Amino acid sequence: MNQIDYTIEPQIIEGNPTQSQVNDAIAKPLETKPTWKYYLALGISVSMLLTGAICLGYTFYYGLGLWGINQPIGWAFDIVNFVFWVGIGHAGTLISAILFLFRQKWRTGIARFAEAMTIFAVMTAGLFPLIHTGRPWLDGYLFPLPNQHHLWVNFTSPLIWDVFAVSTYLTVSFVFWYIGLIPDLAILRDRTKSKVKKIIYSIFSLGWRHSNTHWHHYEMIYLVLAGFATPLVLSVHTIVSFDFAVSILPGWHTTIFPPYFVAGAVFSGFAMVQNVLIVIRKIFDLEHIITLDILEKMNKVMLATGMMVGYAYGMEFFIAWYSGNPLESFVFINRAFGNYAWAYWIMVSCNVIFTQLFWIKKIRRSIIPMFIIGVLVNVGMWFERFVIVVTTTSRDFLPTSWDYFKPTLYDIGILIGSFGLFFTLVILFIRALPVVSISEVKAILPNSQPKHH
Amino acid sequence: MSENTFEFKYEKKVLPQKVFNLGLTLLIVGLIGIIIGFIVNSARTSFNLVILMSWLASIGIGSLFFIGIEYLTGAVWSVPFRRVAEINSAIIWVLPFLIIPILLNIHSLYHWTHTEAVQTDAILKHKSPYLNESFFYIRIIIILVIWYLFYFLFNNNSRQQDNNPNQNFTRKNITVSAIFMPIFAITLTIFAIDWLMSLEPHWYSTIFGVYYFAGTFLAALGAFTFASILLNENGFLAEGLGQDHYYSMGALLFAFTNFWAYIAFSQFMLIWYANLPEETFWYIMRGTGSWLYFSIGLIFVKFIVPYILLLPQPAKMDPKRLKIAAIWILFAHYYDLYWIIMPTYSKNSLPLSWFEIATLIFGIGILVCSFYIFSKRTNLIPIGDPKLKRGLEFHL
Amino acid sequence: MESRKLYAIGALFNDPNKLVKLAKKIVEQGYKNWDVHSSFPIHGLPKIMRLKWSPLGYVALILGLTGTTFGLFLTWWTMSVDYPLIIGGKPWFSFPAFVPVLFELTVLLASVGTAIVMLFIIFKFPNNRHPLHDTDYLKKVSSDNCGLIIEAKDKKFNYDEIKSLFSQFEPDSIIDIYYQEEETSYKPKVFDWKFIVFLIVVAILTSAIGYLFNNVILYLPPFDFMMNQHKLNPQEASTFFNDGFGMRKPVPGTVARGEAFYPFKGKPDEAGTKLINPLLPSKENLELGKSKYNTFCSPCHGWRGEGDSRLNGQFPNPPSLHSEKVRNWSDGRIYHVIVEGQNIMPSYSKQLTEKERWAIVLYIRALQRSLNAKQEDVQ
Repeated sequence: MNQIDYTIEPQIIEGNPTQSQVNDAIAKPLETKPTWKYYLALGISVSMLLTGAICLGYTFYYGLGLWGINQPIGWAFDIVNFVFWVGIGHAGTLISAILFLFRQKWRTGIARFAEAMTIFAVMTAGLFPLIHTGRPWLDGYLFPLPNQHHLWVNFTSPLIWDVFAVSTYLTVSFVFWYIGLIPDLAILRDRTKSKVKKIIYSIFSLGWRHSNTHWHHYEMIYLVLAGFATPLVLSVHTIVSFDFAVSILPGWHTTIFPPYFVAGAVFSGFAMVQNVLIVIRKIFDLEHIITLDILEKMNKVMLATGMMVGYAYGMEFFIAWYSGNPLESFVFINRAFGNYAWAYWIMVSCNVIFTQLFWIKKIRRSIIPMFIIGVLVNVGMWFERFVIVVTTTSRDFLPTSWDYFKPTLYDIGILIGSFGLFFTLVILFIRALPVVSISEVKAILPNSQPKHH
Repeated sequence: MSENTFEFKYEKKVLPQKVFNLGLTLLIVGLIGIIIGFIVNSARTSFNLVILMSWLASIGIGSLFFIGIEYLTGAVWSVPFRRVAEINSAIIWVLPFLIIPILLNIHSLYHWTHTEAVQTDAILKHKSPYLNESFFYIRIIIILVIWYLFYFLFNNNSRQQDNNPNQNFTRKNITVSAIFMPIFAITLTIFAIDWLMSLEPHWYSTIFGVYYFAGTFLAALGAFTFASILLNENGFLAEGLGQDHYYSMGALLFAFTNFWAYIAFSQFMLIWYANLPEETFWYIMRGTGSWLYFSIGLIFVKFIVPYILLLPQPAKMDPKRLKIAAIWILFAHYYDLYWIIMPTYSKNSLPLSWFEIATLIFGIGILVCSFYIFSKRTNLIPIGDPKLKRGLEFHL
Repeated sequence: MESRKLYAIGALFNDPNKLVKLAKKIVEQGYKNWDVHSSFPIHGLPKIMRLKWSPLGYVALILGLTGTTFGLFLTWWTMSVDYPLIIGGKPWFSFPAFVPVLFELTVLLASVGTAIVMLFIIFKFPNNRHPLHDTDYLKKVSSDNCGLIIEAKDKKFNYDEIKSLFSQFEPDSIIDIYYQEEETSYKPKVFDWKFIVFLIVVAILTSAIGYLFNNVILYLPPFDFMMNQHKLNPQEASTFFNDGFGMRKPVPGTVARGEAFYPFKGKPDEAGTKLINPLLPSKENLELGKSKYNTFCSPCHGWRGEGDSRLNGQFPNPPSLHSEKVRNWSDGRIYHVIVEGQNIMPSYSKQLTEKERWAIVLYIRALQRSLNAKQEDVQ
């Protein structure tokens, strides 16, 4: 195994391509006809989406009674899926904004894709609170619009904070992503031979002409947007955690929730980005741009955030005992050994135990094991939200109303549909827009920058 | 390939003697104050020593964390300054000398050490397997030993590299850092629970370890930034270190100021909103009497002032403003610790007189002396580090 | 080809170091209208080009503070002025609970606003008619090169001088960039008939969709499930009860909670002597009486009790309440009429509580007094 030489700057792009080779490599998926594999993948994800759409249609018509929710478990799959998908979105902003501020150049190859994933994941997530209201056609009232009833939303409610957080997050992520896309669209505009494509690219590139007087402002706004997106991404999952933590339910009300949720979100988001990137770099021959080093770094981040999540599990357990509050300790003993113990142990083993395999360099650098661990992490993080949402409510303060939640066909259908929506958007995206930022990759090519004088 | 070919001409300079004299004077003045304090009011002095001890521990262990992060992320800008963080981390050797007088007065500090009071209190009785004196001592010893071990590993590898520029030392330290991170998290949390949270043995908050970490890292960064800029301006480090390096320090200070605010707000918000009496009393204590003004002051001292100081981009490159911000943040952590610890001593009014000032003077004296002594022993620049050249040439 | 004009001369480079050297030279020589183009930002160039510090940071700060202020106003006004609600025992203006919303609004306005300012105000985008578009120069910049141009409108512009200056720095190629006047100076007209037709079509479509949604779709299942529930609304007929009324009367012989049994059934005179108004003619009671009178009595008796019914003869007009007879009635006697009804007037005991009946009596007294005022009332 050859060792890293620390005296030289690590090369991010392998093989030393020229600038036009970068153009060609990244624009290739947009300019070639898709193979049957692409249509197969699209077919599968669209049929998943349709399954979800049908279940959702039934839910709209007959109401939420079709779901498995009951008294006292009023929140179940809808909220679990919501938190899960919002969490997936967090990796994108972390990669594109936080790693940008920390000047981690290895983010370049994956930032664009991660940002797109953020947008799709947040869109998927945003669906769940909307359908969770039961009458989604009245969801306009979630916003503080002046209306004939002289009613306002309740700004002290964490659910309203969610409306603001998620919609802001979606908008700002979109702006960030689009600003990043403009120079790339201009490059595509200048190289395309098709007339229709040229018109489309011209419209969306807004007439960008690579002027350095523009780049000067552009770099500034990128910094400003990254500076805003960083606290924003923390705030979004923090506010999601407030949905639970401002209540007085033991198991929900605990002060570590905000940073713990954020760490968990980054954890699952990285797992998802890693999984999808592994597939994309293989299919589109981008192995020299999305390198194994990048994947290894992502695995390290997963190891770190996985341990943060483990720290939070431990801390919750310890304080549940330390507080001397019998309600607290009951909830946690019930989680580990009660009616949902199976879910709890799936969560612990996937999130804390399996990720420890990333301590081994060989596993960090081989594709199949890391892919499997990535999938397991996502399973684990989904079950983490399940454990938080369902176990706590299933054993509430009144033992006579204790109940057990079982998902119905519709719950599962909508869950499948959410994956279908997400992957359909991802699959369409990789054919419609450059999955790697061309201008950012060009900027870090070895000979693209002048030497310092 | 693993040999470092970069030749760095470095001439070791020793800090002027007057620095040590100044530090020693402060130390002796403070020490006299503390000794008189012990005679006059041993309880109050012990409380002050807990503040001082946890402040110095923050600077030391936070610096170790900073070194570990540098190795793990492969950062280069901080390499020329790493010795400053290493020297700062040496402050943890002082901790036992502060801990022993505190332990002698432990009964006036920690309510849970009174076994007869624990017997009549159901909750404290429940906690007694963790909160009892002997286990407390064992934990202190284990934590200190672990910290010393990592201090030794980091520094030893780094110093050996000065004479033998071999990249294997960097690799070793990367491994040490990776192992250090989870252990750091656990020990720091236990440290925070033991020394700070258990002052109010009925109170609990799961985020408390993270809260103390945020302050810890800020204090370490403040000390690091201040010392680095001071040394660099006076020519103790290398040529060519400037704006771009300062910008990184400023950005980190700014980022973690925000992080602290985020953690502090999360803790306050959740307890305020849920309004459970077993949690809120901790904040109510800090909102009664003159403590209310002190608590409002905390928001300004620890968040708003450094935020405004560091917000503009040019400010993060301006060494003058950065020094002010760094030293401000370093002492803001002291303010924060005072806010955490002292309400247990004095419920209604702010205890602020020569006791507190003497302790602070003593603390500054220790810091200066320790910095002088440990800086004498090593090169101020890690001349054998393979990343040094890149660090010196670092540009944004 | 006459319409083609020279826009600028461009030099294309593969090596950014050469370009930076040329840029330094150009600054030295004092050219003003020149620019560097590259498909990625070149580090250090803004300093060489002596560009001003980008104002976008301040734009973001100002917009962010605007967002915070707006958020603060919105939360304060809605939660503590317009629709105050006590939630969780918290004060109306509970600042910590508003922080998340304030923060989100700050970020939203600052980031979206700054992006808009940059794209549409500073860059004046969208602008697809710039002379550089569709030139070989720009295409090469997009793919492999970075380039530098000096525009023809520069005061120092001299074709040959610039050419020779460029060639000193060994560019890969030097290109003349031309443009067509009518293409770049084209301005879209607002009153173009195509645009107006487009506006009309949009207007018709949006109103049609709006109408369809609000007036048709929302009355179809499942959207009308809330409106059509299996329950009876007031005034609705029912097939369940024999008499066909959806609204039911109280069971005979029962008294509603808070009401007393009425002992003077069929005994108006006894009621007149024995019942005494328990209410004082306070402003509050008179207001209550007025509102209840206007609701229940005034349709037949008229706003002032003059017997001027608003029912347009569908029912016979009742006598005036200002007659000698009624004025001389005791309070209890009037009360009895409200409880039992009289002639064609039905009982109002189901609609009005005891207190409300007495309040109406007070109000009738006030009305009588107002139309038959005595001398001493004026004082």
